[in-house]
Amino acid sequence: MMENFTEVLSLFLSVDNFIAIIIGVVIGVVIGAIPGLTATMAVALALPFTFSLEPVTAILLLVGIYKGGMYGGSITAILIKTPGSPASACTLLDGYPMAQKGQATKALQTALYSSCIADFISNLSLIFFASYLAKIAMNFGPPEFFWLICFSLTIIVSVSGEAIIKGLIAACLGIIVSCIGLDQMYGTERMTFGHYDLMDGISFVPLMIGLFAIPEVIDFYYTKAQPHIIKNVDKSKLSLQEFKQCLKSIIRGSFIGVIIGSIPGTGATASAFISYSEAKRTSPRRANFGKGEPEGVAASEAGNNGVAGATLIPLLSLGIPGDIITAIILGAFMIHGLTPGPLMFQQNLSLIYAIFCGIMLSSIVLFIVGNLTIKYFSKVSDLPKPILLPIVLLFCVFGTYAVNNSIFDIGVMFAFGIMGFFFAKMGIAAAPFLIGFILGPMFEDNLHRSLLISKGDLSIFVRGPITWFFIALTIASLIFVIRRWHQGRTVNAEVDQNLE
Amino acid sequence: MKFWNKKIASFIAVGGMFAAMATGAQADEWPTKTVKLIVPYAAGGTTDITTRKIAELLTDKLDENIIVENRPGAGSTKGTSMLAKGRGASHVLLMASPGHVIGPAIYPGIDYDPVKDFKFIRNIIDVPNVMVVSGDSPYNTVAEFIEDAKNKEMTFGSSGVGGSLHMSGELLKSMTGLNLTHVPFRGSGESVPAVISGDVDFSFENLPVAMPHIKAGKMKALAVTTAERSPYLPDVPTMQEAGKGYGLETFKVSAWFGLIAHKSFSEEASLKMQKLLDEVIKTEDFKEFMKTRGAVAGVQAGDDFKAFIQDEVKKWAVVAEKANVKK
Repeated sequence: MMENFTEVLSLFLSVDNFIAIIIGVVIGVVIGAIPGLTATMAVALALPFTFSLEPVTAILLLVGIYKGGMYGGSITAILIKTPGSPASACTLLDGYPMAQKGQATKALQTALYSSCIADFISNLSLIFFASYLAKIAMNFGPPEFFWLICFSLTIIVSVSGEAIIKGLIAACLGIIVSCIGLDQMYGTERMTFGHYDLMDGISFVPLMIGLFAIPEVIDFYYTKAQPHIIKNVDKSKLSLQEFKQCLKSIIRGSFIGVIIGSIPGTGATASAFISYSEAKRTSPRRANFGKGEPEGVAASEAGNNGVAGATLIPLLSLGIPGDIITAIILGAFMIHGLTPGPLMFQQNLSLIYAIFCGIMLSSIVLFIVGNLTIKYFSKVSDLPKPILLPIVLLFCVFGTYAVNNSIFDIGVMFAFGIMGFFFAKMGIAAAPFLIGFILGPMFEDNLHRSLLISKGDLSIFVRGPITWFFIALTIASLIFVIRRWHQGRTVNAEVDQNLE
Repeated sequence: MKFWNKKIASFIAVGGMFAAMATGAQADEWPTKTVKLIVPYAAGGTTDITTRKIAELLTDKLDENIIVENRPGAGSTKGTSMLAKGRGASHVLLMASPGHVIGPAIYPGIDYDPVKDFKFIRNIIDVPNVMVVSGDSPYNTVAEFIEDAKNKEMTFGSSGVGGSLHMSGELLKSMTGLNLTHVPFRGSGESVPAVISGDVDFSFENLPVAMPHIKAGKMKALAVTTAERSPYLPDVPTMQEAGKGYGLETFKVSAWFGLIAHKSFSEEASLKMQKLLDEVIKTEDFKEFMKTRGAVAGVQAGDDFKAFIQDEVKKWAVVAEKANVKK
């Protein structure tokens, strides 16, 4: 035991490891904060640099980038309504209104604190519950996914604002757009109109940037608004009272992230939206959600950062990568002759614990780096819009092109930008469109897969406790939504009557 | 302080690249400018990692710099189409893989000929696929599996439509006439748990992906798909051995990775690259790399490589049509 302990320390306590974590987190935060440049891309591009590093140093560099990137994505989401990564799309719902109110510093602090706490909880889960969570993950087949997605689709209502019908229409449009490209099951063409660039469907990043960032730019020039300078007027920081109000949502979001992260193939974006939706459903300040409520930012960020440590659970304990980033990290392990999985816990236990130590340290480094950078980043919202918006546009075009080196994607971004602009004019929320776009294909694939596996037998959808659990959750969520909607209509009718 | 050494080396490399671009190399011999290696897939996958490793090792042997560029889309056909159009063709190479020969069979509207429009330099590595079942499955051999499958419908998973793993299953189906239903997943992260949990009856996986699960007893390997047994799984028979008597005597699939160029690529440059790649493949560094990927060195170069591609294109067109995965 003592021997193992010394070995762990000797593997972990090296200057290289510390430098790797710091560089990784800084690169992650910066890359994550640039629209279009995602943590995935940063990890992929850093991989060749790790070939010549020691295994622990290499993995920690990549993990640092991953974690930094998850937080970095929220910075531009808050400041300029352009999510740096898909997972932070939900953060802008409350983060950007906060920045507009001049509370950019407070919004960034909320995002940082909730990210770090969620990250920490996720790391602890990885260290202490990996084998248990991995067992649950292995029991997650297509029917279980199907019900998880059904439950997630009920989120559409909570992110639709007050116009639920419009939200549902937007979600349906999102699902239709997600169908473009070659069908995942048989490879048949859908709505590609013979266009080569549409074979792979619409890319996520151009759509997301178009939908959220471009409408702001168009609106500014369309309304010919006077150069309106939104100063970061309210320099107040997140008070202890406000932090306490958010804490419940942070803890809940972290655990949602841990569960979602430990199941391969779901991802941080869905986790952020589920966490946000749950916070909105239960918060006493639910009426403020979407208008600049710190708890909304906290829930979203806790949801997406809670995934970061947990995605390493299926990777380390089963050797199964849960998303693209962990697939790249798996590649890094293999380059160094290591094979994650159950055998690694027997053969390289010291190395795994050295990595765990580094992962815990990366949460602390993220906290420090985040805190040091907040005051500089928050100055972005002090920039006059006539200067800021062209810069935003430049980053949007650059980031979109960088994803696939494709000019076509820039066209896609502008097309969805125009659509987003009209959505805003018609009072349709863009978030349900995004959720439809993300969850639609997952819904279809898992429905189809379940039926292929069962050879058409519908009983597969109620085959075990996990399916029952998610069916119950979906039904409960639907009942809640319908009741809330009904209550809202009754209240509106009463108000109308009183007015008459 | 290896880390800093690496950083400094990177800066020098980048600085060197700009310097070379600014002054223009004067040497007459190919290459006379920066060589570009196109990866027709996104960064981070096997094709990308292999290309970057090759680029790293070739850099020491060429007078010019090498850059790697990812051009993903529509299988690998988007990046390949770019190469076929021939811009800057004298210094651009592409890392081709089974997508090069399967893509034309399943993607509509492809604007190039996978054989005539290219010059084939060298096949660099071969990675076997392996037929696996769950550790709890009753089948221990391909024969047991086929005997049972004659009487019932079986399902097989893959990491997606049109990949070499899916097409391995379709090839098995077309060669044996068994009633096999394909269940596509998105990536091996989803297809591997489906085999282990028994949601699908079997699947083909890349050897390095399946290896840890085979060693841990979560999966059983019934056969490897290459013509030779894999040195990493010497006890597992090839499909040709295990399927003797069931019409699988010619079954052969591997995930291969090789460099190709535009058809106008000079013969002199092609021969130089072949020679350099021969040297790279023999280095200890690359041998170690192959070991981590479960790969063996490819053998075909030049015309042999072209003949191999020609056969593969024909083979997959027939399989794709039978499987109803077609343009």
